[in-house]
Amino acid sequence: MNGPGIAAYLVLSTILFTTGAIGVLIRRSPLIVLLALEIMLNAGNLSLIAFSRHSGDGAGQIFALAVMVVAAAEVVVGLGLIVAMSRKHVPLDVDKLDTLKG
Amino acid sequence: MITAAWIALFSPAVAVVLLALAGRRVSGRQAGLVTATAVLVSFAGAVVAFVTLLGEDPGERANASTIWTWLSAGSFKAGLEIYLDPLSVFMMLVVSGVGFLIVCYATGYVHGEDEERRYHAYKALFVFSMLLLVMSGNLLLLLAGWGMVGLSSYLLINFWWYKPQAVAAGKKAFIINAFGDATFVLALFLIIQKVGSVDFTTVFSQAPDKIGAGTTVAILIALGLLGGAVAKSAQLPLHTWLPDAMEGPTPVSALIHAATMVTAGVYLIARTHVLFDLAPAVHDTAAILGGVTIVVAGLIALVQTDIKRVIAYSTMSQIGYMFVGVGLGAYGPGMFHLMTHAFFKALLFMTAGIVIHCISAEQDIRKMGGLARHLPWTYRLFLVGALSLAAIPPFSGFFSKDSILSSAIGAGGLGIAMWVLGIIGAFLTGLYTFRLLFIVFFGEESEFAKQHLHKERFEGPFAMMWPVAILAVLAAFAGWLQVPGGWALVTDWLDPVVESIPEATGGLLVFSIAGSLVAAALGVLVAWRLYGRPSHVPAMLRERFAFGHRVLEHKFYFDQLYDALFSRPSAALAVGLNRVVEKPLILGSAGDIGTGVRGLARRVAQTESGLVRLYALLIAAGLVVILVVFLAVQ
Amino acid sequence: MTLLLASTAGDVLTWIVWVAAALALLTTGFAVVLFSNPFYSALALIGNFGSLAILYLLLSAEFVAAAQVLVYAGAVMVLFLFVIGYLGGHADTPWAGGRRVLRLTALAVGAAILVESVVAIALEANGSLSSEAEISGAFGSPAEIGRLFLSDYLLAFEVTSIILLVGAVGGVILGSGMKRDRTPRNELPPQPPVEQREMAGVE
Repeated sequence: MNGPGIAAYLVLSTILFTTGAIGVLIRRSPLIVLLALEIMLNAGNLSLIAFSRHSGDGAGQIFALAVMVVAAAEVVVGLGLIVAMSRKHVPLDVDKLDTLKG
Repeated sequence: MITAAWIALFSPAVAVVLLALAGRRVSGRQAGLVTATAVLVSFAGAVVAFVTLLGEDPGERANASTIWTWLSAGSFKAGLEIYLDPLSVFMMLVVSGVGFLIVCYATGYVHGEDEERRYHAYKALFVFSMLLLVMSGNLLLLLAGWGMVGLSSYLLINFWWYKPQAVAAGKKAFIINAFGDATFVLALFLIIQKVGSVDFTTVFSQAPDKIGAGTTVAILIALGLLGGAVAKSAQLPLHTWLPDAMEGPTPVSALIHAATMVTAGVYLIARTHVLFDLAPAVHDTAAILGGVTIVVAGLIALVQTDIKRVIAYSTMSQIGYMFVGVGLGAYGPGMFHLMTHAFFKALLFMTAGIVIHCISAEQDIRKMGGLARHLPWTYRLFLVGALSLAAIPPFSGFFSKDSILSSAIGAGGLGIAMWVLGIIGAFLTGLYTFRLLFIVFFGEESEFAKQHLHKERFEGPFAMMWPVAILAVLAAFAGWLQVPGGWALVTDWLDPVVESIPEATGGLLVFSIAGSLVAAALGVLVAWRLYGRPSHVPAMLRERFAFGHRVLEHKFYFDQLYDALFSRPSAALAVGLNRVVEKPLILGSAGDIGTGVRGLARRVAQTESGLVRLYALLIAAGLVVILVVFLAVQ
Repeated sequence: MTLLLASTAGDVLTWIVWVAAALALLTTGFAVVLFSNPFYSALALIGNFGSLAILYLLLSAEFVAAAQVLVYAGAVMVLFLFVIGYLGGHADTPWAGGRRVLRLTALAVGAAILVESVVAIALEANGSLSSEAEISGAFGSPAEIGRLFLSDYLLAFEVTSIILLVGAVGGVILGSGMKRDRTPRNELPPQPPVEQREMAGVE
């Protein structure tokens, strides 16, 4: 293969994952949290594809496609929730959504 | 015969079951009829067994029959087994015969009570248990009967459960008997360990080899059996329950605490005499306890003011005679006295019951007096019983008591000491019996009697009178079965089972008879002097010997002693344990555990802040840990 | 010589593309997390997806790259943008907040994950990660993906279609808002006056 080895891709994937994770943990807007979640998923996808190339097995790519499907479905539901929340005038702030307290 | 015996055994049991199932659907009278019929059937069965045994050869009169093996472990077998030999048939006749008469009497006595049916059911249960006891062919079944008579006694003593004294009396009887049961069971364990069996034929034939004479085991076994006998027969020192048991209805006192249950101890010693022969010291102890009881009970009876309690102490005293008899080896005379005592003691109780019935359930003799005028037949029947009890010839008590005394004096050594106690007892018996008779029936009518006396056509209800009359006939004439110096039908009958020591003969016999006659007559005379006519002497005696009088009134302080030794420490222990262990550790801990868990839960619940971010953070932190673990493993 | 030049040229080109794509990836990634305006974050994410597609191409996963652009950038992000547009001002939220401890811990945890993973990769870089497998020309082609989906991974194929169905239905229901506001469940119907109730009880 030309270019950098698998390890480089993996490091890239890790940095992306960490960025997404910190985004999920720090941001307060549910929209941004969803976006950061997407980043995390894609980071996972990247390492899947990298390993697939590394081992020559197409299963990694299949898996990545499945992850994409799941992410898409999750986004649909998540955004539906956010729209419903805004319609009910629930504040769009993760810290304020604590009815499960206790 | 075997079938007849089984029917005799189970007939009262069937009665109990029928009455239990019938409940309120039968009237009280019908319930009484059921029980009476059942006991009559038992008596018939006993008679059949007796007649059949008569036909058999004296040496062959031992029949065992098992219908069900309950426990079978290796070579050890125990089951529902009866054993018909002269001794058991003798007891069967006494129990079912006297039992039948008393049950009929009771139909009159408890008529009108709310719980009449329950009474009759319990009575049937008792007769069944007693028959089980005397007919059983192995020690385990005997123990079952032993326990069941204790139960029936308890149930009948506190028949009037709403009376606190009755309940207390029932408990006392049961607990003291439980002590005896415990020693009995321990003896049974030892027997099973040594001999490996409980049925009579095996145990008695192998005991001398397997247990050995004079060994520690033999002594322990005999002591255990003696403990049970002493408790059940209300001998010193386990006698305190019998006077209290008078709280039960009079027919109960007549049947259970005079004629049958309390004699179970005597039967036990006679039946297991082989085991007692292996421990002569314990055998002698039985006689000594009996002798001491004769005198102590007689003394206490002198100052009792409740008509039934006098008769109760008298029972205790007479059983003392029986214990002297079987303790010294005079089994025939002992059992003979058991039979005559059943007759005249039941007679006394039942006539007392008629008196009580006629003056509205009053039992204090100080409130009675001059009743002979109003209840002449009752008086005459009571007189027959009293003469028999005091051993005045030709009534039955004379013959049976003298049998025992002449055997005692003939035995020498310990027997002579017992003879002396027996003579003292004869004096006391005459004294307290006729004291009772004179106070109740002679003299001026008391105010109370004048107001409360009511009689029926035959003085008491007819159902109560005719059984008493039959008993009076028996008490009068049954003595002729065995005449000291002449013939001894009872002893001969029992000989194949238990050999009795020979009675004294010749001069010694005459001396013994004379001694007991003199003592009894003296007792009656003193009673006549003190109570037969208005006299200030009793009051004066009471003052002069105030201390002695108080001791007797408090029954030699046995109750107080046992209270201090056993009840108070047990109660204190229970209270102490409750305070130290139960409340803080068990009850308290339940509360503390709850509080602790709640506190812990509150602290854990603080992690549920409801913030999704926090949860995500915790997940991420977990991920960190897992990564570290993976790296470390690599 | 020309072969060497050609191969090194191909290599150099690959490296240049790789570095560019990687930089774009990381920049847009940070941008998503750091922007306060959700619209800008979404746009940055689109750029992120594009860079990812390029990297997939470099890894010979052509179909996945195409799917990435079509599905993620084309459909999912459009959805996001629609919703952000619909929400308008409602979407304004403080950038970050909450307890300081939580924020710091989050940063620490993130750093820890990063460090640990890099360490793990570095440890293996010269071991099992050093050589790649030989692949055929068909690797990553749509034909290959299709073959795999319909043979070895048929179950995954079917399950993903069900997931899509569920997601679609869920989205419709969540977003439709057709249900009217009704009374909360724990409110009882009005009670009759006390006398009537007692009379009803006495029978």
